[in-house]
Amino acid sequence: MIAPRMRRRLGRGLLLGFFSVLLVAYVAGPVAWLVSSSLQTDAQITAIPPNWLPPEPTLANFEAIFGAKAEVVTYETRRQGDPATTRFLPSGAENLLPSLANSFSVGLWVAILNLVLSVTAAYAIAVIPFRGRRGALYAILVTRVIPDIALIVPLFLLVRALGLVNTQTALVTTYLAVTIPFTIFILISYFESIPADLYRAARVDGCSHVAALRHVYLPLALPAVIASLMFAFLTSWNEFIFALILTQNVAAQTLPIVISGFVMDFTTSFSFVNAAGVIAIVPPVVLAMLFERYIVSGLTAGAVKG
Amino acid sequence: MQMFRGLSYDERNAWLLVAPVFAVLMAVALYPIAYSFYTSLYDIVLTRPWRRPFVGTGNYERILADPQFWVAVQRTTVYTLVTVAATTILALGVALLLNEAFPGRRLLSALILLPWATPSIVNGLMWKWIYDPSYGLLNALLLKLGMIERYTVWLGDPSKTLFMIANAAVWKQMPLAAILMLVTMKAIPADLYRAARVDGANAFQRFAHVTLPALKPGFMLVLVYETMISIRHFDLFLIMTQGGPGDASYTLSWQIYVETFRSLKFGLGAALSYILAMATFLLSWMFIRMLGRGMEK
Repeated sequence: MIAPRMRRRLGRGLLLGFFSVLLVAYVAGPVAWLVSSSLQTDAQITAIPPNWLPPEPTLANFEAIFGAKAEVVTYETRRQGDPATTRFLPSGAENLLPSLANSFSVGLWVAILNLVLSVTAAYAIAVIPFRGRRGALYAILVTRVIPDIALIVPLFLLVRALGLVNTQTALVTTYLAVTIPFTIFILISYFESIPADLYRAARVDGCSHVAALRHVYLPLALPAVIASLMFAFLTSWNEFIFALILTQNVAAQTLPIVISGFVMDFTTSFSFVNAAGVIAIVPPVVLAMLFERYIVSGLTAGAVKG
Repeated sequence: MQMFRGLSYDERNAWLLVAPVFAVLMAVALYPIAYSFYTSLYDIVLTRPWRRPFVGTGNYERILADPQFWVAVQRTTVYTLVTVAATTILALGVALLLNEAFPGRRLLSALILLPWATPSIVNGLMWKWIYDPSYGLLNALLLKLGMIERYTVWLGDPSKTLFMIANAAVWKQMPLAAILMLVTMKAIPADLYRAARVDGANAFQRFAHVTLPALKPGFMLVLVYETMISIRHFDLFLIMTQGGPGDASYTLSWQIYVETFRSLKFGLGAALSYILAMATFLLSWMFIRMLGRGMEK
């Protein structure tokens, strides 16, 4: 009597194990290969068949990035090829570290401003009964229907008129247009799941709206708040097309812009590009893993209603 | 305070709390949207800045008569269909897996956030490197598994390009879609399964008659969201193929980029953007109508 059940449990275990391994390979495989390539020299990554693992792991590519200084690249120096062995660096390599700093500071500003602005609006729309709340919500959400690429020309003209071309201010403000509607959407779903009795109790006790938001809603919506911070930071960290048009040099350029420059410059060694890619991947991945629980519950609470 | 006369305390507060968001969105979203519509009615070419005649719907008519536009529509349709379908199916599978209780499930659900957190530029360069015809992982892997006989060109082959880019997109988009599905799945009352079991339904029948219908809201969200973002993908195309080879990956967003920033035809580019925006809007609305029927919350 026990045998068939045991067999079925074993079968289920094997099946789950098989698909889990498949999923891990699919999700982590490409990144593992990127990391492996970044730890090899140019000669090693152009071996056929390829080296799955670095034969002699080297940090030369990363050292090259962190030690890069501005230098004149001529046809001769460029032809010397391998960054790891000949100290050759693609033009623009010295911009990687400043752009990393820019990405961090733009991301932090976007995360904070996005939260402050969205949380108040979401509270008002979700909790306070007032005429026009549906309309206000739709007006905010519908701004996301237009493709970003359509907004760039007018934004560029606006930014230029204000003298803000190539500033982090311009980037932070434009990114808010991308993050605010989505953040408001998740925060509203979350706020609406908080019992209205709490709101009434707070108001009866003489709480102002700002106090009710601070002392009742914010603490209860903590997962959604953390998720919004993460989401805004990651969106800003990943954003490409606005930064491409609105920034011109190290004063404001973010990491994706500098890296895309390497990718499209076909003389740049892939070992170097891969190392730059690994650097760009680490901060968002670490954040996502650390706050996984909050991201999942925050981004999805109430978003799916049956 | 004059303008607030006649409003209750609540209403005054609500508008004050919403106002900052409206101010920001006015500047960085509504104004550009309106301005870009205005631009789409003029024949603005930056290489000829002194003449910018009003052409009304002229730009739109020119676009609809342009064979290259229809090529772009075809490429965008294929790319979006493939990306959305593959993402949805894969996400459903992953959600079903993560819905089971087994050791390591928590770790797995954290790990799937890896693609989601990967910046699209890095995603593009990573897959470009994997697809590399001489040194890439894909050729080496498939050769080892005996699925190809010799090294093959991937991104450079016009018949494969769109699918290769779609694969990179699916890799990045699958996690969020899977999480959305999983959340819907978890919300299905266990009673439904118990009842189905009592009625003698087997595992497949339970999936087809309990899980799938209950997943409707999840499907809707995933389909709308994935369609909206896939139809306007741009980063991957810039990094991986630049619309090529030939016009094999010449999608609408790529056409907008080329017309606006390479040909500097701002009017035409803005009109194209509006066409893409309308398409997005109609599609989302259609999905919501299709799946949302009888699902009033």
